[in-house]
Amino acid sequence: MSYQTIAIAGLLYILAMPVYIVYILTKSRKIGYVATGTFCLGAVIHIFGFVQRFREMYEINHSFLRSIPLTNLYESLVFFVLCLVIGYLFIEWRYKKKSLGVLVSIIAGITISLIDLLGISKQVQPLIPALKSNWLLAHVTLSFIAYAAFGISFVTGLLHIIMDSENKKSFKYIFSTFLLGFMLFMFLSVIIDTTTASNPKTVKIFHSTLGNPSSFISIISWLFLLILIFISWQYGGFIKKILMSFKIDADFLEDITYKAIAFGFPIFTIGGLVFGAIWAEQAWGRYWGWDPKETWSLITWFVYAFYLHAKFIRGWKGSKISMIAVAGFIVTIFTYLGVNIFLSGLHSYGSM
Amino acid sequence: MSKLNSLNEKIWNFFASVDLAVALFIVISIGAAIGTVIPQELDPEAIIRFFSKFMSFNASMKAYEIVNLFDLNNVYHSWWFTFLLFMFAMNLIVCSVDRLPLLLKSFKIPPKLFDSKILEKMPLKREFELSLKKDEIFEKLINILKRKHFSVSTFNTDNSIQIQCKKWSKTRLAVYLTHLSILIILIGAIVGVFFGLRGSMNIIEGTGSSFAISDSGKPISLPFEIRCDKFEVEFYENSAMPKDYRSYIKVIENNQPVKINGKDSFIIEVNQPFTYKGFKFYQATYGFQPSEHSEFRFTFLDKKGKEHQIAVHFEEKFKIPETDAVASVVDFSPALGVDEQGRLFNMDTNMINPAVLVEFEQNGKKIKQWILSKIPDTWDTPFGKLKFNELWGAQFTGLQIRKDPGVALIYIGSILLCAGLFISLFLRPVQYIIELGDRKVTFFYPSLKGAVLREKEIDKIIQELKEEEK
Repeated sequence: MSYQTIAIAGLLYILAMPVYIVYILTKSRKIGYVATGTFCLGAVIHIFGFVQRFREMYEINHSFLRSIPLTNLYESLVFFVLCLVIGYLFIEWRYKKKSLGVLVSIIAGITISLIDLLGISKQVQPLIPALKSNWLLAHVTLSFIAYAAFGISFVTGLLHIIMDSENKKSFKYIFSTFLLGFMLFMFLSVIIDTTTASNPKTVKIFHSTLGNPSSFISIISWLFLLILIFISWQYGGFIKKILMSFKIDADFLEDITYKAIAFGFPIFTIGGLVFGAIWAEQAWGRYWGWDPKETWSLITWFVYAFYLHAKFIRGWKGSKISMIAVAGFIVTIFTYLGVNIFLSGLHSYGSM
Repeated sequence: MSKLNSLNEKIWNFFASVDLAVALFIVISIGAAIGTVIPQELDPEAIIRFFSKFMSFNASMKAYEIVNLFDLNNVYHSWWFTFLLFMFAMNLIVCSVDRLPLLLKSFKIPPKLFDSKILEKMPLKREFELSLKKDEIFEKLINILKRKHFSVSTFNTDNSIQIQCKKWSKTRLAVYLTHLSILIILIGAIVGVFFGLRGSMNIIEGTGSSFAISDSGKPISLPFEIRCDKFEVEFYENSAMPKDYRSYIKVIENNQPVKINGKDSFIIEVNQPFTYKGFKFYQATYGFQPSEHSEFRFTFLDKKGKEHQIAVHFEEKFKIPETDAVASVVDFSPALGVDEQGRLFNMDTNMINPAVLVEFEQNGKKIKQWILSKIPDTWDTPFGKLKFNELWGAQFTGLQIRKDPGVALIYIGSILLCAGLFISLFLRPVQYIIELGDRKVTFFYPSLKGAVLREKEIDKIIQELKEEEK
């Protein structure tokens, strides 16, 4: 079964992490090869698992173009991590820099093992009629690769802001540490939400924490959220030191943020907007209809267009420009998940 | 006069500025986002109901007034959103017209010698020691650069040679391709609004129509006629949920059926529209509307096993072949059901279980029998097997009709947009300035962007140079 293969890949990512740390401490070339080797093996097995899943979908849908395993939260996260891993390996090869490896292997390993442990629905499901089209493969895959690239730019952008700010009271520093604390809380909350949900298909985010029917737990959760944000604000300098010890400097982070957006933006334009418009033209008889998902994709596009113009024409630099990258990914997440949760429209099938 | 010129200049600069572009990105985004939150409905009651979820009734009445004032319930067609898009288009045109000639000119200007003071200020500088003389290095370096597809120009100064090499510099034009493509897409959308149409038409099975009704209620006359020969619905078992429905149509032009690829009958299904002369027809709905011309169609199997096809209207008498009996249809039910007391009743207006009540008359004796098209047991009559096939001409097919001559422009614009973005973001221009001295090479790179990768490329060039040196 594909999810067992993918779990093995997750294990290899976790194994690669300490090797990367040893490499950074010793700078031994051999250990560097072992670290990259372990990580690459994980990636190969991950790809194999993805192909396996593809075949399982194919047995149900009998169409190559309609069998892309990206139809629920589990598959989306698996694919997202795969994009992250391949993107990282490309950066490592291109820049000959292994310092981000620790961070990426932690994120990849933990995400894969968590989604495996949590019991998010892993079953292969048949396609619902709305998705039965040959445009599914191109539209969804490319959109996701773009989301993953924007995700990378978000992480590096956020780290860049934290590294770049000297003053703990500056807006940018407060904003980015607040966001970091909130993301951490959301991550924990999703875990609790999923484990306590009676039906894994109808997980409601924050239902077990902030929105708990018991007001006592709800208040405790709010307090916990505030404490997490405070810790992240108070010890942001510590993150900076860790990054410094991994030989990651602000310029490198800024460069990766830009590269990820410069890669994701054209992919998003062709896969998300153009292919989406062609599909809409064929299925609904119009290429553009101001459906909430379409509108928010356009807003996402505008935010990243803003980023590129601010960078190239206005010459914005430093944490100022990274703020736009961070804002861009918040809009992206809303386009991907928020639109389905909060707004109704024709795209309302992409649920958890 | 000069005042007027300065005003012109101010307006021009306003439209050419990136600040306007960035401001429009933000304002259009906020406007579009509002449209996804507030229900886009023209019915005031729906809007007030939406607001009363968050506030008191009086406050939601006030909120509706604001919504109404700014057309917030119809954002994407409101005057201010149209105005913003117009400003966006103006901004695109003016800033491109403003900058493009400068860029084109810069391609024609012959390269100039860089002063050493300017060079020292460049963010990236790499120095290498070599064992060769100036002229020897020069010759080898030029070869390597040409192999790497750089265009090279050289300047001799008193004690050094300056080489300027460039690659991909023309890709800076791609930004204007992107701008142009967005304009093409906007023009495509305008063409669609002014020259396109949307409407719907209902055609009863067996009839034709060359008129549709637009979404705003105006009649649209088509240059040809659409005939619906047959309409079919399949239902999921024992329910009124349609599984699939399709229309078999013909296009009649100048009293002749139109042939496309040798066929004159076409099928329109959900997700499979039919296109003719720029008009696109989509299967949208269907309905039940029996009329005088509706035909009951039977297949009669006589006692010798011969098949006869019979088609009659309601209450029209017909002879049962090979007998002296006469029959007629006296009742019809599209969805015949039996209630708990065993009484018959009609469940639905969809043709889920079509049934006819046939009255037979032989030698003055009359008998009535229900015949159900889906239940073979009911086909047996005292005179032979009478199978009820269908009631033809009692359903209508609802077609959506659309014509949008702007779609071609949208597609062209989309292709150019993607091409422009890929070129301008993946093929960034590269320029090095190289100072050659005796046993010394210095590389300068005028920007910090991508400095890491540039350093790698410079290292590679030096490595090749050293290899040739041996």
